[in-house]
Amino acid sequence: MDNIEPFINFTSRKLQYRVLFTLFLAIFLLALATGTGMAQENAEAAKTTEASAEATAEAEPEAPPEPYEVVDYRNFFGIDGRLIVWIIAELHLMFAAFVLAVPIFVVIIEMIGVKSGDIRFDNLAREFTKLLSAAFATTASLGGLLAFALYGLYPAFMRYMTDVFHPFMFIYALCFFGEVFCLYGYYYSWDLLSKTPKGKWIHISIGVMLNLFGTALMMLANSWATFMMSPGGINMETGTVTSLYHAFYNFLWMPVNIHRIIANVAFGGFVVGAYAAVKFMGSKTDEERAHYDWMGYIGNFIGLGALIPLPFAGYYLGREVYSASPVMGNIMMGGAFSWTFIIQAILIGMLFIGGNYYLWNGMSRIKGAERYTPYIKYINMVIFFCFAVWLTPHNLPLSGEERALIGEQYHPFSKFFGVMAAKNAVVNLLILSTFFSFLLYRRANKGETKPFSSHGSGARITLIITVGLTVMYLAWYALGLRGLDMEENILRYVSPLVSCLVIQIFAIVIALLLTFANKGKLAQIFLFVVTTVMAVMYFWYYGFVVMEKANLVLRYLSVTQVSIVISCLIVNTVIDVFLFKDAKEVGGIQWGKIPHRSQYALLLLCVAIVTLMGLMGFIRSGLRMNWHIYGYMQDTSAGSFTPSIAYMGWTVGLIVILFLALVALVFWLAGLADKKKKHA
Amino acid sequence: MGNKKNSYSMILAIVSILIVFIIIKFVAPYAFMYLLAKDHTMPTPSTLMLWYMILAILGTLVYVSTSDLKWAKFLSFILPAGDDKIKALFQKMIVISFPVLVAWFAYSGTVPGTASPVELRIQHPTLLQEYEKLENPFANADEATKRRCIEEGKHLYQQNCRPCHGSKADGNGPFANAFRLRPINFTDPGTIATVVENFAFWRIKEGGPGLPNVSTPWDSPMPAWKDVLTDTQIWKIIMGEYVTAGVVPRQREEIEH
Repeated sequence: MDNIEPFINFTSRKLQYRVLFTLFLAIFLLALATGTGMAQENAEAAKTTEASAEATAEAEPEAPPEPYEVVDYRNFFGIDGRLIVWIIAELHLMFAAFVLAVPIFVVIIEMIGVKSGDIRFDNLAREFTKLLSAAFATTASLGGLLAFALYGLYPAFMRYMTDVFHPFMFIYALCFFGEVFCLYGYYYSWDLLSKTPKGKWIHISIGVMLNLFGTALMMLANSWATFMMSPGGINMETGTVTSLYHAFYNFLWMPVNIHRIIANVAFGGFVVGAYAAVKFMGSKTDEERAHYDWMGYIGNFIGLGALIPLPFAGYYLGREVYSASPVMGNIMMGGAFSWTFIIQAILIGMLFIGGNYYLWNGMSRIKGAERYTPYIKYINMVIFFCFAVWLTPHNLPLSGEERALIGEQYHPFSKFFGVMAAKNAVVNLLILSTFFSFLLYRRANKGETKPFSSHGSGARITLIITVGLTVMYLAWYALGLRGLDMEENILRYVSPLVSCLVIQIFAIVIALLLTFANKGKLAQIFLFVVTTVMAVMYFWYYGFVVMEKANLVLRYLSVTQVSIVISCLIVNTVIDVFLFKDAKEVGGIQWGKIPHRSQYALLLLCVAIVTLMGLMGFIRSGLRMNWHIYGYMQDTSAGSFTPSIAYMGWTVGLIVILFLALVALVFWLAGLADKKKKHA
Repeated sequence: MGNKKNSYSMILAIVSILIVFIIIKFVAPYAFMYLLAKDHTMPTPSTLMLWYMILAILGTLVYVSTSDLKWAKFLSFILPAGDDKIKALFQKMIVISFPVLVAWFAYSGTVPGTASPVELRIQHPTLLQEYEKLENPFANADEATKRRCIEEGKHLYQQNCRPCHGSKADGNGPFANAFRLRPINFTDPGTIATVVENFAFWRIKEGGPGLPNVSTPWDSPMPAWKDVLTDTQIWKIIMGEYVTAGVVPRQREEIEH
């Protein structure tokens, strides 16, 4: 009798947490409603009072039937419509990012599994897909909810958007069907198509189709969002559509597409990393621990891999925002949104540190790693130095006394660390250090290497092709710089950039020759040193010269810097692959033997990337300020103000908690079937 | 010896943090004084001190926890010292200094003082939309006209702007020292070189009074010149001012498709 558990256990800690969380949500929404929703109501009430006052003045004995009123804005049960749309849109976007990113690396992992014949890869791909199918329905539901919220709360704005984009909305629906069929086809045909190699490739093809449909969906939706920021193809006075093509292919469309695809992969990688971390910490057996440790490692690898090119894509997007409107550009980096970029710097710093920390902790499960652990302290120092520079604002908060002591507006720290030249230099150094860290991790388990010449002509051809393509790209960009149509006094500042590109070409060729001469390690070190000296040290200094004398050249400097760093990463990776091909293993990797601290690092990475996405989503959308469609349609609702940093912080914080709670619920549901199987 | 060295890793960590503190607090102000040929030290602002020290502590903790072995050695310092008298002494020092440090933080944070508040400034207030599409009327003029405008602009600059911004546009005019927020040094590449000409036009025309509310507290004493100078004169001043400062305005990016 005593063993019967009550229907609701009021002493349960879990229940208490749930009640507390629900109360927190209710209080939070109420607080926001009283702040902003009421403002809208007051504004409407004022309008109504004025209207009724006028109406009374011209009162007629018989009241005419109430005319149909066209409403431009509505509240969501007293809560500001903008807040509701903000939360739903961001949640939809986060789930969509996960759903779009996971198939990209699932298909790649599956291909690796087929090529290597290692069943572990196939199982991993399948486990990721299980999460994917569970998250897909939530994404779709949130998408539907977002559409209803937009049409319900912003009817006038959506009327116009529908007028412009309705042909694409049908294409969107078609693509959605394509994605649904491909996803379920991909997931449910796994066993059926795994039996034969031909079947396996058909399965992979379905996965590729899934990716194509997913990317098309994202790009269609992106065009609507970027149209709002940089409208094209319409008459800016009347709103008439002059070119549907230009409305769709507006000039922020492609930069946002590129940035989102890469960011989604980083997001997906870190989210599955966190999933693996939770599973790892709850594992009962060594086998489970080994599996989830490996899964977490793959998640972190994908996340970090995508994080490396992300700053470059972000820079490109930022530059295009400046092109679209100097006003938007200015408030983004120097105005109302500049402090949000300090928060962004902290989050990105956390991602790089967390990713590296995980790798360093992971070295403890590799016998032989102790040969490389002494380097960790230097990489750590470099990374924290970069973080410090990356974080230093140009515009420091100073007290009057401090300003008087310094004697001028800028302290040298903010003067030399706070501007773009320094930020670009350290972000490249951060990327190079992280890459170096990864190379150390890769070779931790490797002992005696085989000479390059023993790998045959295949290796030689691959390396020559890689070097050839990299050199061609660098030469093409250098020639482009030489042919720039600029004034002579500015053009001379471009020459050092061309010289650096030429030096890098020579350095790459020398690295190639050194590798052929069986001195691959020396080749890697040589390329690292040349790249760091030019792209980090020299360009840090030269960035200041260019800023002062010819800031038009700054954009070419950044691209040159990125090109040099990327060329180093590509060539060094390929050299590394062949350098350690068939190398003797020192002691193997003991999957599952990793400290729990590292798993908390994976959780931190997940929280950091989710917060980062919430923050950047706010910035991208908020840059329009009081415009629905920048320069054409104003937002005249009470919620059109640009939120303060505190308000933004609360809302983004709420979105992050909601997303993590939802994703935990969805993953838990996805795992229920496995639990049943185990019990059975 | 190796073991002994390792068991002191907590002390090494504390010493590393102290070294960073000494560099930022005491070395950097003098280093900047000598390197930048100033006649006074350049003390590190308190906000930066705080951020950099947090990073130093975080960096140290990250390093000592990169493996189980390092972490265990780091923590082992608080275990009983046994015969090691130096270790016992250090332990006592930590036990005493940590609460003292916390007390000092609590005291310095709460003691009544007369410091003026730290201001969170926004460097480039949002450019009003009516100024976004403006274009310098002399941007496409022939070279001779441009040269003439620049000369006229330089002249107007010296007449109107020099008292505060200085004859070399370096922010060192005769009145400069009278202001709490010093006039901007235009030769600094982080100032007018980072904005488009329209931004300079807006700031000259509207001055401090024309700053939007979000940009406060600025307390900018920059006058609004719209009642004194014509638009043409302002454009000429901008042209002359950039040449005097030896910098060029930010160029509009080409719209790429």
